[in-house]
Amino acid sequence: MWARLATLVRRVAGMPDYAAYTAHLRRCHPERPVPSEREFFADYLRTRYGDGASRCC
Amino acid sequence: MRLILWALISTAGAGAWAVLALHRGETVSAAWMVLAAVGTYLVAYRFYSRFLADRVFQLDDRRATPAERLGNGRDFVPTSRWVLFGHHFAAIAGAGPLVGPVLAAQFGYLPGVLWIVFGVVLGGAVQDFVILFGSMRRDGRSLGQMAKEEIGPVTGLLAMIAVLAIMIILLAPLGLVVVNALKDSPWGVFTIAASIPIALLMGFWMKAWRPGRTIEASAVGVVLLLLALVGGRWVGASPVLAPLFTWNGPTLAYAVIGYGFVASVMPVWMLLCPRDYLSSFLKIGVILLLAVAIVAVAPPLKLPPLTRFIDGTGPVFAGKLFPFAFITIACGAISGFHALVASGTTPKMLRRESDARLIGYGGMLMESFVAVMALCAAAVLDPGVYFAINAPLGALGGTVEKAAATVATWGFTVTPGQLQALAADVGEKTLLARTGGAPSLAVGMAQILGGAFGRTLTALWYHFAILFEALFILTTIDTGTRVGRFMLQELAGHLWRPLGRTSWYPGVVFSSALLAAAWGWFLVQGVADPLGGINSLWPLFGISNQLLASVALCVGTTLIIKSGRARYAWVTLLPLAWVLAVTMSAGWIKIFAADPRLGFLAHAGSVVEQIAAGAVDPARGARLVFNDRLDATVCAAFMLVTALVVVTAAWEWLQIFRHRKPATARETPFVETAYVG
Repeated sequence: MWARLATLVRRVAGMPDYAAYTAHLRRCHPERPVPSEREFFADYLRTRYGDGASRCC
Repeated sequence: MRLILWALISTAGAGAWAVLALHRGETVSAAWMVLAAVGTYLVAYRFYSRFLADRVFQLDDRRATPAERLGNGRDFVPTSRWVLFGHHFAAIAGAGPLVGPVLAAQFGYLPGVLWIVFGVVLGGAVQDFVILFGSMRRDGRSLGQMAKEEIGPVTGLLAMIAVLAIMIILLAPLGLVVVNALKDSPWGVFTIAASIPIALLMGFWMKAWRPGRTIEASAVGVVLLLLALVGGRWVGASPVLAPLFTWNGPTLAYAVIGYGFVASVMPVWMLLCPRDYLSSFLKIGVILLLAVAIVAVAPPLKLPPLTRFIDGTGPVFAGKLFPFAFITIACGAISGFHALVASGTTPKMLRRESDARLIGYGGMLMESFVAVMALCAAAVLDPGVYFAINAPLGALGGTVEKAAATVATWGFTVTPGQLQALAADVGEKTLLARTGGAPSLAVGMAQILGGAFGRTLTALWYHFAILFEALFILTTIDTGTRVGRFMLQELAGHLWRPLGRTSWYPGVVFSSALLAAAWGWFLVQGVADPLGGINSLWPLFGISNQLLASVALCVGTTLIIKSGRARYAWVTLLPLAWVLAVTMSAGWIKIFAADPRLGFLAHAGSVVEQIAAGAVDPARGARLVFNDRLDATVCAAFMLVTALVVVTAAWEWLQIFRHRKPATARETPFVETAYVG
């Protein structure tokens, strides 16, 4: 219940979801190394705000 | 059964419109406005958006979306549709739908609500939907890339210039809204200033102390921000601290420009990312709160449906109902800016093709609803109070007595005592001439929220509303300067390669400074403008936003024609024709009108005469003349770019109709989905 609420809040606000990402890695790319939460966050910042992030008036 | 339900909804909506339009004499409840809007949205969503989804776009749930095919667990993530709806809405809704309707309320509430509701169902929501659809079929490509691939490289370049130009013009009036809301308001300045260290704290929390704990950090941030809001009252009353936070217009303007520059060169995790989260939460929270309060209180609309200012003599901004009501309200009815979001993060998160209907079309209906609520908040004010807050100081006179006398000449009554009492109620020294819409919206919101949740807190509600608007305007200023900087660097990289490298720090600082100076110039000009700045800057913003809408609608039309369904091209051509008619006539009037209040060139001419007569200081006059001519040039450039985009797109359509080019769209090939059901 709490975890589902947290996922909802994350998705709506566009926050990174480490648990979902590691789950995705284990399922689809088991050969790749799993990044630490710190690395993952840095990577998220690059993809989300890398191009300046468009947002409305 | 279904049939009866929809017949009931249609009748309720139509009935509410009839009440709004035909009611004379007594005041109408805001609930009618909400009912009319929601009834129209429901009918449009059920029938028109389904027609678009099934016939025009032919959404196909068997086709795998980019989120499924390219899923990487980060930006390409299949997301359930209501969650994505929330995300998309948080990204498209900003200050635009709150400010425009409040300004346009000078014509009365009827023109505004008609344009917001019918403009969105036939224009704005269609635009967002078609761009989201196009981007979804092209692996989440951006608007500029689609313009380049589907129409041609020239149009692609023009689209990019259009985006850069709108960014510069958008940031200036938004900055001005913040300046006018915060000037001489220590409570407001303290609260907004406190948001900077709070964001920094959140940034360090998420990056260094507890990496990735974004929800935890945001919760702390929201609590601290609310504490700062409450503490602001104490700061505002303190004889020692209040003077420190009492800033005048020009000082605030330079502070906002400085903030925009510094924030845009700082690493994103320090300021941008935490502020982004704070803004999102506050935005969704406030909008839900306001919707509940309007429905619960159902306040009467004190503003008349139409005022005498439809003849163009209004004090808030100059110009007649057509085209200026349609320029002033851009976001909320149709907003070109959304095309950037609809071709940004959202298309990469769609789980199924048919979800695009709820998110593209439905998301924009929701934004339109926010605009309707903003209009309600302005219309529940006494008209006299509304004009005293929104008319420029030059028109009102400097004291409450003079202002009351001026407002009386416009045919509305307000007493000096009433104005003083209202200012005291919301914890300000004065509310006169706080142009830009935010303060009157905040007063209206404070009245509505106070009515629902207790009157004793009026001052707190007012400052809460100001905080909420200023917070996300500053976030927009940060992201806008950043996006503009990236685009500038991309363009400049063609001239001198090192400038294009986004990791080369001198290049970053240089282009950020250039961009902040560009919009800062217009902001400072607005603060110094004796007519109040919003008067000249907001129409320019409206024109530029609608210009981007015409680019988006041209791209949308091309997509529809190229997928071989030209017989449905009217769904985008119709709003395109309307937006062009509005933009072009407004642009023409702003440049060439003979009335100095309206036309840039006529105003320049009148200043030249005043200089010759010795009525204006020559140095100051020369600056005013330069600014007028600059505004006229910018406006002409917008019109030229729009015309070029339309002509290049029309040329492409003609080639297809004459069978010189095949009608094939460059969609990503079909891949069947692995999802069941």
